[in-house]
Amino acid sequence: MSLLAVNNLAIATGGHDLVADLSFAIEPGQRLGLIGESGSGKSLTAMAISGLLPPAIVPRGSVTLDGVEVIGAPERKLNKLRGAASAVVFQEPLTALDPLMKLGRQLAEPLRRRFRREGRDLAGIEAETIALLERVSLPQPQRIANAYPYEVSGGQRQRVAIAMALACRPKLLIADEPTTALDVTTQAEILALLDSLVRDLGMALLFISHDLPVVSTIVDQVLVLRQGRMVETGPVKSVLGTPTQQYTQSLVAAARAFDTALGAR
Amino acid sequence: MTTIELDRPARRSAASLTFIVGLILVGLHVAIALLTLVWTPYDPSSTAGGRLEAPSLLHWAGTDRLGRDLFTQIMIGSRIALQVGIGAVGIGAAIGVTIGVLAAFATRLLDDALAAAFDILIAFPTLLLAMLVVAASDTASLWSAILALGIALSAIVGRLTRILAKRVLQMDFITAARTSGTSWPRIVVIHILPNIWPTLMVNFALQFGLAAIAEASLSYLGLGAPPPNASWGRLLQEAQGTVYTAPFGAIAPGLALLVLVIGINLFADGLRDVGDPTRRRSR
Repeated sequence: MSLLAVNNLAIATGGHDLVADLSFAIEPGQRLGLIGESGSGKSLTAMAISGLLPPAIVPRGSVTLDGVEVIGAPERKLNKLRGAASAVVFQEPLTALDPLMKLGRQLAEPLRRRFRREGRDLAGIEAETIALLERVSLPQPQRIANAYPYEVSGGQRQRVAIAMALACRPKLLIADEPTTALDVTTQAEILALLDSLVRDLGMALLFISHDLPVVSTIVDQVLVLRQGRMVETGPVKSVLGTPTQQYTQSLVAAARAFDTALGAR
Repeated sequence: MTTIELDRPARRSAASLTFIVGLILVGLHVAIALLTLVWTPYDPSSTAGGRLEAPSLLHWAGTDRLGRDLFTQIMIGSRIALQVGIGAVGIGAAIGVTIGVLAAFATRLLDDALAAAFDILIAFPTLLLAMLVVAASDTASLWSAILALGIALSAIVGRLTRILAKRVLQMDFITAARTSGTSWPRIVVIHILPNIWPTLMVNFALQFGLAAIAEASLSYLGLGAPPPNASWGRLLQEAQGTVYTAPFGAIAPGLALLVLVIGINLFADGLRDVGDPTRRRSR
């Protein structure tokens, strides 16, 4: 059975469909890239999977995550699913972290829930916090744990945010444009980190991005979204290498033109 | 750009200076209030000298028309002012923060109703509210004044809490916390309250000053603490008849109130910097 199965998902607000007829599945350990321009419904889809759409935005169809139907499920059931089945890394690490809470304490929050879930001794949380910070290659984890978000760099904040998602030990990691707010060098480091973590921990990955080169380095399968509709889907090599749809072709051409322009300088 | 660099340290030390001055003024009142529990220069309710004496070394603030020592009464007034401030802000904060946070989470309809209730209560004259509470509790007492002021404050605190909590609720880190399975009560405790606390604390301190003034008004009108309690408002009211012959009877309690409120306002100003780690660390 698939870890995540999305069937005929439609997301509507005020009678207007923002996403429609979207179907895809992610098997355990599989990596899928969700590609599309801004406003194509990528992040909405991610929120629908976590059951966190704003009240005015209503989903239809079916989203089954780890065997549980998410759409229409009561909050209590969803809250148990969140963290255990899925966790999200967001685009902007500064706003995704509480500015008034030390990073170590923020990281300890999801850890505490996992320890409870697994029936482990809560005394081990502090050591596990430091271990997680080391796991995401942060130097001086003790210092970072005692720092507030504004006291560390953007790349370090994103590493902490990734550590927080890992702390849940989810079966599916949803990364919503995790490198967009970072500079190119940091971007490459974060991608390499995500790649190794997902491989080592055997998690499935839903990677959302508008950046084709970034997506192609980390996922096996891609799904191209345009105005809330699926344009094309398949293995990265075939979809981005030999796109059959005009929209995908134009995306690839644009990325290529951009690369050439950069190379020419 | 150098001017900005040079300006900054000066501004910061000015901010901490106001905080220290505020702390000293408030601390002085607290110390005096605590002292009256064990010792006062004279017995507050018996004659200690001639009637309406001017300030002297024996009677620092003179005596009232019954010959009681005014400084002793002002010291006790300090205790009453602090009692009212703490009581009223305590009640206002407990009710206001609870309802404010609930309103931020409530459905649209309930939220609008609560917001309207806050606005109506704020528009309602505090003195009228105090009279209603006194009427409902049969006699005017210190507690009826505290309760009335507490209810009036709860609307102001509630409205502020609701807006602050709503703003925090829209932040990304709340969504992030929810994606990892944090429950709503836990989000309130670890994310919302700490994030609205610095602003609320400053507001509480300011409300404390307003409550002290409001209590003086209530006592002046006879709606506050009844006679043996030497509230500043009652001292002012008693001194009213002799204000031309013995002006110090009115000046002294007025001065005490002024010093307390200025102290609290300076303290509140400094508190803003202390409550925010970004400002605290950058010092």
